[in-house]
Amino acid sequence: MIEVIHPGLYSSIQDSGRFGQQFLGVPISGAMDQIAMHWANSLLNNPKDSAVLEMCFRGPKLLFHQSTAIALAGAHMNATLNGVKVQNLNAIEIKENDILEFGNASKGTRTYMAVAGGIQSPEILGSRSQFKGITTDSRLNKFKLIPFAKVSFVPKKGARLSIPKLDLKNLKITVYKGPDYDLLPFEAQNQLTKSVFTISPKNSRMAYFLEQKLIHEIPSLWTTPVLPGTVQCTPDGTLMILMRDAQTTGGYPRVLQVSDEGLNLLAQKSTRDSFQFHLRAV
Amino acid sequence: MNKKLPFRFFTTHPRVVILEWDRKPDNTLLNQLIDFQKHILRRFKEVTQITQGYASLMLFHNTEVHHIADYSKKLYLIFESLPTKAVKKGRLWQIPVCYDNSFALDLKALALKLNLSPEALVELHTSASYQVYFIGFLPGFLYLGGLPKVLEHPRKIKPSPHVPQGSVGIGGKQTGIYPFDSPGGWYVIGKTPYPLFEPQKKKPCFAQTGDSIQFVPISKSEFMELDRQKKNGSLKLKPS
Repeated sequence: MIEVIHPGLYSSIQDSGRFGQQFLGVPISGAMDQIAMHWANSLLNNPKDSAVLEMCFRGPKLLFHQSTAIALAGAHMNATLNGVKVQNLNAIEIKENDILEFGNASKGTRTYMAVAGGIQSPEILGSRSQFKGITTDSRLNKFKLIPFAKVSFVPKKGARLSIPKLDLKNLKITVYKGPDYDLLPFEAQNQLTKSVFTISPKNSRMAYFLEQKLIHEIPSLWTTPVLPGTVQCTPDGTLMILMRDAQTTGGYPRVLQVSDEGLNLLAQKSTRDSFQFHLRAV
Repeated sequence: MNKKLPFRFFTTHPRVVILEWDRKPDNTLLNQLIDFQKHILRRFKEVTQITQGYASLMLFHNTEVHHIADYSKKLYLIFESLPTKAVKKGRLWQIPVCYDNSFALDLKALALKLNLSPEALVELHTSASYQVYFIGFLPGFLYLGGLPKVLEHPRKIKPSPHVPQGSVGIGGKQTGIYPFDSPGGWYVIGKTPYPLFEPQKKKPCFAQTGDSIQFVPISKSEFMELDRQKKNGSLKLKPS
């Protein structure tokens, strides 16, 4: 078990998501940055979608009741093991009663911690991803115990994953046309594909609202299915990018659809970060 | 030539196709959409899930979708071969609802706005039969069609920050039940003690698209008794 001494700002257990229950209104959920989750798992020889801990902005303080191995990927969170700095992207040996403490995120927004054998919280409707109304807790809480599998994994000394460096400053998010894109006036299409957008403080696992507005006159629709990555535009022009915990249906015009890679990149962005959409044919 | 296509076809993601009908949603379209989904899932093994809106479907594929023109043509042909009359009606669920003022937080206010007595409003709400068009918004939230026209009223200007689980509300042309505590902009006119979504169950939601719903008025003491049964875990809706 891992004991949560302090939960951090917003930490939750996530995997590849609860796919297949959307016809009942259940969000897909899952790790916001699926690639970082895969990296963390692969360092421990876990199946790539084993449940991991997702930590946002400021990470938790954790006490390990048993020995195991962990790996971190995604944003840098100044993690220390019993007070000694540990690095992302390598396997880290953990002994009984070790304390792992995270600080504030830099070079990204979300950090992922994989545990050898995977986190073993109860699987509900095919996933361990925490979500309000589905799992007992909607996120990590103080004093909770996180179960993990008991596997013998001895990290190789010096083994490290090298990954391409991300240019988070000049980020281009690959998108496809949404069903309502062609209804937009030329100026609005131009704005979407040419100008810079900024993420507003209203951003969460459900949706990112953007600062810039889009002038359009598309009426609201009969409610239609949506999915993570769908970019909706409200009547007053507010753009919102639906993220992993998004509801399954929506009534606003759908102007763009963010690619899978784009969603993983956006997971590492937050308030005041800016980016451009890069429109591509499907 | 120039024959009008039955629906619009969009690929908005390499593995997602959206189909949209330029029709006002009604029972005929609903039944066609239900039939159509069965045919698609049977015919195309790469379609892993279909979600539904009032007049739209979203097809999820486990591989990238290629040969779009060919695929859309196949889908048009399947759709046009479907019978336009409903083959099989869904089940009917009678959901007990307590319209007592202690739960019906906005019943008086809405009745006043609609120029009805609260009793007349409840009478109208319970005499209609509602179609489950699809499930969305929150897990187990049923999008219902069939609200009597006289009960239509725009949502509250200021949404309530906390609407309790089981609350029955009216907003716009819709009525529905909140499956979980949530913020909401609908006028709350009653509450059901029955659970709407039980994630631990194999079938977490009792209803499915195409079913019908009726609301049956119950007293506050009946509500309390059913609520006790719910706490024991023995409360379960049965189709009529």
